[in-house]
Amino acid sequence: MKRIHIYLLTLLVLLVGSVHANLWAQTAAVATQSQVKSAAAGNSLLRVSLPLKDNSVRFGMIGDTGTGTQKQHQLAEVMLEYRKAFPYEFVVMMGDNMYGGESAKDYKSKFEDVYRPLLDMKVKFYASLGNHDEPAQRFYEHFNMNGKEYYRFTKGNAAFYALNSNYLDKKQLQWLESELAKDTSEWKVCFFHHPPYSSGGKHGSDKQLREVVEPIFVKYGVNLVLTGHDHFYERVKPQKGIYYFVIGAGGKLRSGDVKDNSVLTDKAFDRDMSFTVGEIVGDQFYFQTVSRTGETVDSGVLPNQRKKP
Amino acid sequence: MLASFVGVNTKINFIVKAATLLLVFSLSALAFGQSTQTEPPKTVATAIKPANKQEKLLLRNYEKAVKQYVALRESVRKKLPPLSKDSTPEQISVYQKQFVDGVRAHRAYAKQGYMFTQPLANYIRELIRKEFKGTDRVQVREAILEADTAGVPLKVNYPYPETKELSQVPPTLLLTLPQLPKEVKYRFVQRNLLLVDTDNGLIIDYMTNALP
Repeated sequence: MKRIHIYLLTLLVLLVGSVHANLWAQTAAVATQSQVKSAAAGNSLLRVSLPLKDNSVRFGMIGDTGTGTQKQHQLAEVMLEYRKAFPYEFVVMMGDNMYGGESAKDYKSKFEDVYRPLLDMKVKFYASLGNHDEPAQRFYEHFNMNGKEYYRFTKGNAAFYALNSNYLDKKQLQWLESELAKDTSEWKVCFFHHPPYSSGGKHGSDKQLREVVEPIFVKYGVNLVLTGHDHFYERVKPQKGIYYFVIGAGGKLRSGDVKDNSVLTDKAFDRDMSFTVGEIVGDQFYFQTVSRTGETVDSGVLPNQRKKP
Repeated sequence: MLASFVGVNTKINFIVKAATLLLVFSLSALAFGQSTQTEPPKTVATAIKPANKQEKLLLRNYEKAVKQYVALRESVRKKLPPLSKDSTPEQISVYQKQFVDGVRAHRAYAKQGYMFTQPLANYIRELIRKEFKGTDRVQVREAILEADTAGVPLKVNYPYPETKELSQVPPTLLLTLPQLPKEVKYRFVQRNLLLVDTDNGLIIDYMTNALP
């Protein structure tokens, strides 16, 4: 009889826990105007949950930013506030860096003006190209693409691969495969625009892209895949051992677009714009996603899948 | 009395088993989600090989025409002040304008069908129709047609408007189409296939109804 009680109690705890988490997520998701203002003014909602260890790799993640709207500016202000407490060194961009025109004026209003304080602090931005981006962006000084549509750079024990998912041709795939084959970095991170996995109602998973890149990611032990295109935040349940994130609400928001009860979703947030910050400490990847109001909408730590415990 | 005791016991056993099964199921589902299982990679499709001499000739002529275009645009590009990897937006704008104007002036003769000849266009239409069927075709169409390309003029030797979205060309399709050098890209405007210069956005040629 005692055994039954223990089993039933365990089940009850699991059930209550999941309902509570759901309610918490919904409560945290409601953004009021006053919260937005207080976030921009160094608000009290902003909390850093990353460990801030010596010699760690610290970086920001944004996607689908290039609007130049007031809301993009507000989110950038929260990013700036966050950096004061957690000095991330660089930011990776998931594409759609420039919506609409790409004149000199657009570069200024949709990027430089928005992130000027971070640029002045020598924070480096590494861009990838989305379906709204001209390939000429690869020559832009602040996107650090070295004149290439796809490229690799390393930071500490991590290698970052920026891909052009808008035009993933044979040459690019061959390059990716040959680079990954010789890569001995502890963490292999790929970032690009279209998500192989996403619960978005408007776009969702890009299955044709997945068919081509996933076998390569699996074969060469890619740990982390960062994407955008869908204008919300989603942490996807690990797929074939790989961690996938959709980080596409840096300048636009598609409110309510995450499909309810999607089997892919570990955590999603589509009620406000957001950015994500990551810290790689040895074989752990810590992450935190913060909304325009300064609220933490997701955080956690993921172990390196390729390391034996 | 004994019978009712046995009945209760059976119910208890049933509840215990059900709870155990539920827990085991939850834990295994969790473990599956986190698993690092690997599957042997699928073979990535490569460009389809020509089936006969006629197709071979078509593709050879196409390749030749593309090479000629690249040679022409390179002759223009080399005369421009080079664009560094750390360019300002102003430098990028000026460079693109000079580049596109220069190439346009050198190929004022260009007309639709100069690269995508009628037999080649038919070959490409058939290739896409044959290679993408069922779900694959639906996914390819969705990826291409979701792009907002309304208002892009289908005009040879005119630049693709920079304010317009560039539709994603699904990688499976890119691996099927005849391969191109890095200076030239395929683009779709609705169901129409365009050849566009990578760096200056010039529409080199186009064919209609490439997508089934």
